[in-house]
Amino acid sequence: MDAASQYLSLDEPHRANHLWRYSPWRKVHPTGKVGEIPTSLASPTLTLTSLSGGVVLAGISLEKSSGANQVLHHADAVTESFLKAITTDSAFTLRVENNFIPSEPIFLDIDTGDSPCAVHLTLDVGRHCEFELITQIDGAAPWTGLLRSGRIGEGTILNDVVIGHTDAGTFLRVDNISIGRDAQVKTGTVSSGSERTKADLRYRMGEIGGHLRVLGSILASDKMHLDHHVEIHHDAPETFSRLEWHSACGGKSRTVGTGMLRIVDGAHGADASQLFQNLLLSKGAKADSIPELEVSEHNVVGCGHGTASGPVDEDQMFYLESRGFDTDQARDTLVAAFLNSTLIAMGSETMHEWLTNHLQEELADLSS
Amino acid sequence: MTEQEASTMMTPEEVSTVVGDYKAGWHDPENSTIRFDNGLSEQVVRDISALKDEPEWMTEFRVKAYRHYEKRPMPTWGNMSLLEQIDFDNICYFLRSGEGTETNWDDVPEDIRNTFQKLGIPEAEQKWLSGVTAQYESEAVYHSIREDLVKQGVIFLDMDSGLREYPELVKKWFCSVIPYSDNKFSALNTAVWSGGSFIYVPKGVHVEMPVQAYFRINAKNMGQFERTLIIADEGSSIHYVEGCTAPTYSSDSLHSAVVELIALPGAYIRYSTVQNWSANVYNLVTKRGIAHENATIEWVDGNLGSKLTMKYPSVILKGEGAHAEVISVAYSGKGQHQDTGAKIHHLASNTTSKILSKSISKDGGRGSYRGLVTVSAKAENCKVNVVCDALILDEESRSDTYPTMEVANSTARCEHEASVSKVSDEQLFYLMSRGHAENEALAMIVNGFFEPFTRELPMEYAVELNHLMALEMEGSIG
Repeated sequence: MDAASQYLSLDEPHRANHLWRYSPWRKVHPTGKVGEIPTSLASPTLTLTSLSGGVVLAGISLEKSSGANQVLHHADAVTESFLKAITTDSAFTLRVENNFIPSEPIFLDIDTGDSPCAVHLTLDVGRHCEFELITQIDGAAPWTGLLRSGRIGEGTILNDVVIGHTDAGTFLRVDNISIGRDAQVKTGTVSSGSERTKADLRYRMGEIGGHLRVLGSILASDKMHLDHHVEIHHDAPETFSRLEWHSACGGKSRTVGTGMLRIVDGAHGADASQLFQNLLLSKGAKADSIPELEVSEHNVVGCGHGTASGPVDEDQMFYLESRGFDTDQARDTLVAAFLNSTLIAMGSETMHEWLTNHLQEELADLSS
Repeated sequence: MTEQEASTMMTPEEVSTVVGDYKAGWHDPENSTIRFDNGLSEQVVRDISALKDEPEWMTEFRVKAYRHYEKRPMPTWGNMSLLEQIDFDNICYFLRSGEGTETNWDDVPEDIRNTFQKLGIPEAEQKWLSGVTAQYESEAVYHSIREDLVKQGVIFLDMDSGLREYPELVKKWFCSVIPYSDNKFSALNTAVWSGGSFIYVPKGVHVEMPVQAYFRINAKNMGQFERTLIIADEGSSIHYVEGCTAPTYSSDSLHSAVVELIALPGAYIRYSTVQNWSANVYNLVTKRGIAHENATIEWVDGNLGSKLTMKYPSVILKGEGAHAEVISVAYSGKGQHQDTGAKIHHLASNTTSKILSKSISKDGGRGSYRGLVTVSAKAENCKVNVVCDALILDEESRSDTYPTMEVANSTARCEHEASVSKVSDEQLFYLMSRGHAENEALAMIVNGFFEPFTRELPMEYAVELNHLMALEMEGSIG
């Protein structure tokens, strides 16, 4: 059955399902008519460069491909089949050869233009690479779909950051990434654009020794609705994962962080935890967290999760004010520090500097 | 014994396989004075009401609830595969075993009296309780309350008597916290409820010693649907203790209670439960309290046994300064799924809540924590703390945590943390190096793990729980 037929055979997901509880599928679907698959979606423009804008180094390439027949593990059937169906002519593979070690981060720009668009990006990352990848989605499209799938090769060290930076509209993002044996992956999400984001990020640790850190810096202001679901599957022994998710909500925005940490029977030695932290900056802001845990293996190093939601700490405000900061400065500093604690962990100093420079405007919006 | 009864009885070996050392698994011969045919219909609902000679409004309430139950689908979460196995047509919805509610143990039929003596209820009553209700199948068979409490205006009755003697009070509060349309099982309970406790504590009265209700299912394929309503008026306090057991049969029984607590301004209610059901009981219970200004509601909730328990004691913090606390433990053994948790809704400012949940899974059991905390937009300065810890004792078992936290006020401070781990080899080694056998060491570690719960129980319950856990831990290692 092709992806379109599969999608059309499915029922509309029920809101009792946590994945769809806060952002029902009909509000995320490009037309709101869940029984239809739009055929007029454009393909965004993809540009691959080094971060400084120089020539892309040898060993990495972006090519047109077909991702429709890829098998995705632990995927949500609705979004998988829908995104595959609308990206049959808009699928690319980012191919990274074995032992690829560039001297500076790689930058992939996805320019949505101003029409609804979607893209399927397959990451085919070889063995023993060591690099940083920044993927930025920008533009003025009213609806953007991004499906990222693929596998990170054995022993590769990858810092992978995705920045949702569209001007407005709805952004649907689905990640389905497998972590290879002994690979060390940091995957960061910076969400600062779009009126509505629905992200379903799934990582599979299917081979021994995988090491994963998932980091989020979410900046929600005005009436933004930013909903991120993160699933980490420990399907192999001796795997390690950490999730740290920081959301700052200003205006009348709402952030949703739902997580699923699943340790299967046989994944002995698994070491996993997830932490969602929400900073509520205004009276109308809302933050919801559901960090779920399913553990079927008894011989684990440890599995845990936590959430915390609250306002800017009064003691910290007092500390800064007593040292000469005015109230706004103190508050802005603490908000920036809160978001920076995950930004700084996403990659190298070069990447961090680029990210903080890039997000100045959004931080200012948040404070106002 | 009929042929059919014989076919559903388990041999001692089968019993041992299913329930291990479940010591309350005996049953008495069934000497019912009235037993309805198995199965549920509107006529059964009307017959229960007629038999109890209830006022018209209650009959109509039951019928409305029954119609809602018929329409309402089964929950789509929890353990759907086990829920689908419930054969509602093979359950007896009303069974009367005695001639009425006695106030003297000597007047209770001998076999029933013996059952409660084996369970230690009359002895506990003499030592440390203010009052006792003992329910056997669908109705209370024994009830008592201390004279001094009666003089202070405390009402402690079984629910049927409460409806007869205080219909206006019951009508005012019945279904006020848990409407019948809340969920499928609250609708079922409202349709066929029988027994349970009705308590009213007048303004400013403090009931110093706990009151207790003990619920015993004896017959097979029995449905027990007690209904409990506790109203603590302004500035009063009460501690209610509930215990439950059932015999072991090869066919399933259903326990589906509804408990409503109302803590008026400044009142305090603690509701302690140790449910120790046999492994053939579905335990699907709705418990919720509403706390007004500066009131406190505490649920102390222990869950052992049963085939499937789905129970999430809840508190609605309606008045400013109200406080809620839920301390729960769950033990899931072979073939058991304890899907338990807590729900707190902060509707008013300066309200605080605390949830502590502990679970142990062993022999292929599954323990799930499912929780919900909400802070409404108008509730300023609320504080929430949720802690869930789980121990998995062997390779076949499983532990899940599904907490939900919805915060709509920027002044709220909410924390949740959870961990799943195994028993530490170092702790076992430490205890064994000091002369304890492996089983003893494990039982000590498990009792220590449950200690934050047991220290909140009356001492007799805590001792009993520790003893039960030690029995459950036998044969855990090696």
